[in-house]
Amino acid sequence: MSQDCNDEWELSKENVQPLRQGRVMSTLQEALAQQETSSHTAVQLKKQEFESEIRFYTGDDPLDVWDRYIKWTEQTFPQGGKESNLAAILERAVKALNEQRQYYKDPRYLNLWLKFGNLCNEPLDLYSYLHSQEIGTTLALLYITWAEVLEARGSFKKADLIFQEGLQRKAEPLDKLQSHHRQFQTRVSRQALLGLEEAPDENDTDLLGTAEPQRSSLADLKGRGKKKVRAPINRVGDALKATNQTRSSRSLNSQQLSNNLGFAVFDENSASGPEIPVLTPQPWIAPPAPRAKENELSAGPWNAGRRPRSTAHSGIEVPYPLPSFTPYVEESAQQQVMTPCKIEPSINHVLSARKPEKEEDPLQRVQNHQQGTEEKKEVVMYCKDKVYAGVEEFSLEEIRAEIYRQKAKKKTEEEIQAIAQKKEEIQRKIEELEKKLKKKDDKQQQLREQPTEITEALPPSGMQGFTFSSATEVGEKQSQLQSEFQVSEDTQPHKPSCSEEVFQSLDECPDTQRGNVFSDSEDEQEKLRPEASLGGKDVGLLPQRDPAMFFSIFDESSTLANQNTSCSADHTQKSARRPLAVRKPSDSLTAKENISPEACDELNGIEPLTEDAILTGSYKHKTLCANPEDTCDFVRAAHLASTPFHGVVAQRVPDPAFAESVLKEDCPESKSAPLNQEMLVCEGVYNEALCVKKLSPIMEASVEDTRSSGSSVSSGSSLSSVTQISAIKFPHIPEKLELAQSLPAETAPDSGGITENITDDDETQFLWSAEQRKKLLDPMPESLTASAAFHLDPGTLPVMGLEKDVELGNETYCIKWEYWTNEEYKMFFAIPANFPQLDAKGFAIKVYSQPVPWDFYITLQLQERLNTDFDQSFSENCSCYMYRDGCAILHRDINHFTLGDVIRECKSITEEVILLVVYNLLGVVEKLHKAEIVHGDLSPEVFFLGDRICDPFANDEMTRALKIVDFSHSLDLRLQSQVSLPNSFPISQTPHGQQLLAKSSLPYQVDLVGIADIVHLMLFGDHVQVYQENSIWKIGQNLSKTVDSDFWSKLFGRILNADGKSTVPLLRELREEISDMFDSCFQERLCESLAALGETFLLENFL
Amino acid sequence: MAKQVGRDQQGITLRGSAEIVAEFFSYGINSILYQRGIYPPETFTRVQKYGLTLLVTTDPELKNYLNNVVEQMKEWLYKCIVQRLVVVISSIENNEVLERWQFDIECDKTAKDESAPREKSQKAIQDEIRSVIRQITATVTFLPLLETACAFDLLIYTDKDLAVPEKWEESGPQFIANSEEVRLRSFTTTIHKVNSMVAYKKDSFP
Repeated sequence: MSQDCNDEWELSKENVQPLRQGRVMSTLQEALAQQETSSHTAVQLKKQEFESEIRFYTGDDPLDVWDRYIKWTEQTFPQGGKESNLAAILERAVKALNEQRQYYKDPRYLNLWLKFGNLCNEPLDLYSYLHSQEIGTTLALLYITWAEVLEARGSFKKADLIFQEGLQRKAEPLDKLQSHHRQFQTRVSRQALLGLEEAPDENDTDLLGTAEPQRSSLADLKGRGKKKVRAPINRVGDALKATNQTRSSRSLNSQQLSNNLGFAVFDENSASGPEIPVLTPQPWIAPPAPRAKENELSAGPWNAGRRPRSTAHSGIEVPYPLPSFTPYVEESAQQQVMTPCKIEPSINHVLSARKPEKEEDPLQRVQNHQQGTEEKKEVVMYCKDKVYAGVEEFSLEEIRAEIYRQKAKKKTEEEIQAIAQKKEEIQRKIEELEKKLKKKDDKQQQLREQPTEITEALPPSGMQGFTFSSATEVGEKQSQLQSEFQVSEDTQPHKPSCSEEVFQSLDECPDTQRGNVFSDSEDEQEKLRPEASLGGKDVGLLPQRDPAMFFSIFDESSTLANQNTSCSADHTQKSARRPLAVRKPSDSLTAKENISPEACDELNGIEPLTEDAILTGSYKHKTLCANPEDTCDFVRAAHLASTPFHGVVAQRVPDPAFAESVLKEDCPESKSAPLNQEMLVCEGVYNEALCVKKLSPIMEASVEDTRSSGSSVSSGSSLSSVTQISAIKFPHIPEKLELAQSLPAETAPDSGGITENITDDDETQFLWSAEQRKKLLDPMPESLTASAAFHLDPGTLPVMGLEKDVELGNETYCIKWEYWTNEEYKMFFAIPANFPQLDAKGFAIKVYSQPVPWDFYITLQLQERLNTDFDQSFSENCSCYMYRDGCAILHRDINHFTLGDVIRECKSITEEVILLVVYNLLGVVEKLHKAEIVHGDLSPEVFFLGDRICDPFANDEMTRALKIVDFSHSLDLRLQSQVSLPNSFPISQTPHGQQLLAKSSLPYQVDLVGIADIVHLMLFGDHVQVYQENSIWKIGQNLSKTVDSDFWSKLFGRILNADGKSTVPLLRELREEISDMFDSCFQERLCESLAALGETFLLENFL
Repeated sequence: MAKQVGRDQQGITLRGSAEIVAEFFSYGINSILYQRGIYPPETFTRVQKYGLTLLVTTDPELKNYLNNVVEQMKEWLYKCIVQRLVVVISSIENNEVLERWQFDIECDKTAKDESAPREKSQKAIQDEIRSVIRQITATVTFLPLLETACAFDLLIYTDKDLAVPEKWEESGPQFIANSEEVRLRSFTTTIHKVNSMVAYKKDSFP
């Protein structure tokens, strides 16, 4: 160490806190030097290191980290103070290691507490706390420290008691304790002797009064006195008492011997307390009597103070529950009164004692923390423990980085190990082969010596040649491998996981990885794989992590490819899109099942998610399923989450018989006198029904799925107007039916303030609600009941579900497919049960949970109003089966697929097909509107494909491309003439619908929006997005890329801005414009594209 | 005890130098004993020396012992046959050496033959000594606390061919295993140069 360096510590020696264990000079010098240059980077780095070690320590001795951290801090920040943050570190350490019983006998742990105690306002409290908690009670150090503090305060008796307690407990090391005790005793006895000697002196000074010892501030430091040189320092407080006014230099004694210099200064005022009798009885300081151990915990008020929960004043803010405080204040006040003249107020102000109340005692904080942890009910959903583990806060990114680093480190280690192993193996092999070679050589030599057996010797010689070559091969290979490995290591960042051969093949096309990723062909993949394996069997030598990355990328693209070609992949999508669908086993669904686990595995293969799980701490809260980062599971669970709460398949929601008239009274409309008797009887049942009908909040708020929102809106409704009929036919249940009649009105408020009366036109109306329709169809129109297709069945609605046989009329149908389902109704595809072969054509069965055959009604109305215009676009052959609690409408000759299926599964639909579909679409809507019927919920799903698309041999003129059978949200404007509120239609809850229908007045407008959306979906694959420019609505997509861009922009422009105009002429105009495009050339192309469509989509989907 | 050597002289002679150095040892050892708490602080008294207030023992036995040693040292210094003085502080309980204060003495043996005094003012030497003593006082900033009762030993390294005087015995160096060493300042009278150093037990630092 150079002489220059030496100066540093001496120059700032006042700024160095002495340490019990001493300081390392080099660290000290460094720290002091750094202080000047203020280059703390190294220190900060080290600190960071400790902080992260605290967080990611995996061993079984977390105390060790803290211990080193604290020691390092002590060494590195010689001046202590705020910068070192030692107080915070100690506090954090104490908190972190709280209740760790394995450390209670660990001297390091005790040291931690004792160091922490030095920072507390009242270390004595801490010692008794430690004692009560049995922390370090087997260690001598506790008693020594405790006694020293007491001694420094002059409480010799208590100090002795503490020593006695320690000796009683045989605290280790006992000899040290004993020697300390002996020294303590000698000190005390000597002082007692001296005290006796100088007693008269003391009396004198006491009598003088003015000579009451006080420190004179800013006094001269030169020695005074003639005979006996005396330092002018007036020692007061404990220093004075300890030496009993042997003023010369004895006062240093206590300093020298007490371990904690700080205490003497710290408790300056209170330390003089012990002389005053008030302070001596401090029950909470006294350790429990050694022989009454079992009473220990409940013995003193200290315990009560420590756990204020049990006492009345349990607040955290209780300033200081200890009884000693009041006398403490009084005493200092007294002193001031006694010697006011001695202290100049200004100076006193400068050196005034710290007010202990202002600063919360760290001990108290720690205790509060302990209590807090006991009482806390909050569950932290991120890794709070890691963020706040150390003294400094860590960001999640830092934690993530650390985890990543650890992982990377581990990986590289593993790799290195693997390589080393491999090397060893190869080495061994080489040795083996060499040995063999030698043997062979020897043998050969032997054989040569025995020429008689030369024939036998020949094969071995051949063998030898072989083995030799293989040996060299291995040797070569090894060297090659090494070089190879280096190559791949060099290139790892760019092209991981490739052996040399793969590189070469990859190098051929630049930007290789991209190229591979986007090439759908799996052949290339497979080509690569064998190459990789060909590139020597040494793939094992190469890092293993990368293939995962490699493949995961590939899989993504390959699944995309699957989507293009096979419909089975789409079913996953479908199920995700339709949250209401209840998963049922079916042919096509099993296909999906086969796919999704694969997808899961692929997802699992992507690694970074696991980190997040650790980070977010979600590993602690496995709510969803076993593996929360598994998004596949989430997808699976998603539709469970958004299905309604009722466990039963919601086919027939509340039995109309389950009605309750308590609520009914709220509704003046549906009063029926004879029902009042039934009230009580039905009450319980009704409650049940209510529970059943409850929807999940997700569903109610959902705007994604128009159908689901529609269903939630209409969920309150229940009945049709069949009551009359049923009353005639089933006279034994009339009350029940009438009760049922009342139900919807009661439940209406639940589902969002619906009023059941149309005539109350000042209220929002849900036009398609069943109860409304029931009224409309009440009495049931002649046309309906008289229809040959109308069948009335006294029984209940048969249970319908996937793969179930259901009997309607005299036929039995097997349900094969479920299009959609909700509270009110379901749509199934069925085939005759005796024709098990799944055909493209079958039956669509619409099941209403209420006996309101609205669809049937609309269909009949259409037939009536349109006459000859009623064509294939509508269900020409449908029948209705009415049951007591619902109805089913059977549509015959329906194609399996809907327009929605086509849009979903064909990435691009040819222009011709779109034109054809739009032509038909416009035609259908035109007819509907002509018949004064608003469909209300036009979407690709409601349009079944017509024969024009499905039947390749169909007649061009007669067949239609679309067929519409579902009229769930339709309005009959002849029946509901006052309706002028399109806002309640499901489509008006979509973003575009909201915009377009905001100010619209005509209900027909709703269907125009539906048309626009369908056309947009076919053209661009997504929902229409609109914006307004110069009060003209436009769509967000650029139409110029489409073939007939002029026509499309015209179509959108007119449809979107048709507000207030009559829709029928508009639709006809547009339709005619399309038909103008239908020339022979167009027909040809249409035939082609339809055939292609039939091939790629219809056929494949079926097989 | 404080002998004022050559107060008016401007030069430094061998005898004077030996006295200055021996006196330094006397005060130095006293300071160490006081600072390190080897003896109870109340057995020390203050004196003014080197412009500092120093504490010297009042314990008669200790005083006597130190006087003897210092006298012996003076003699050896004069003969220029002493190389090193070591104050060893060890625990009474287990005799473990805790601290080791080492004063290396470089004697300019040519001074024995010279008659002319060397040119160095006494004030300059005193300043140097003062800084050494100050450093001894300041070592509390880094020295570990002596937790147990301790005793001290004085070791003197002399030239080999010296006969061991009465009441002296030969001893080992009493090094501290695993020690931290800190050099302190040095001073020179131009004839004797004293380099100081303290070694202490290294704790298990991080």
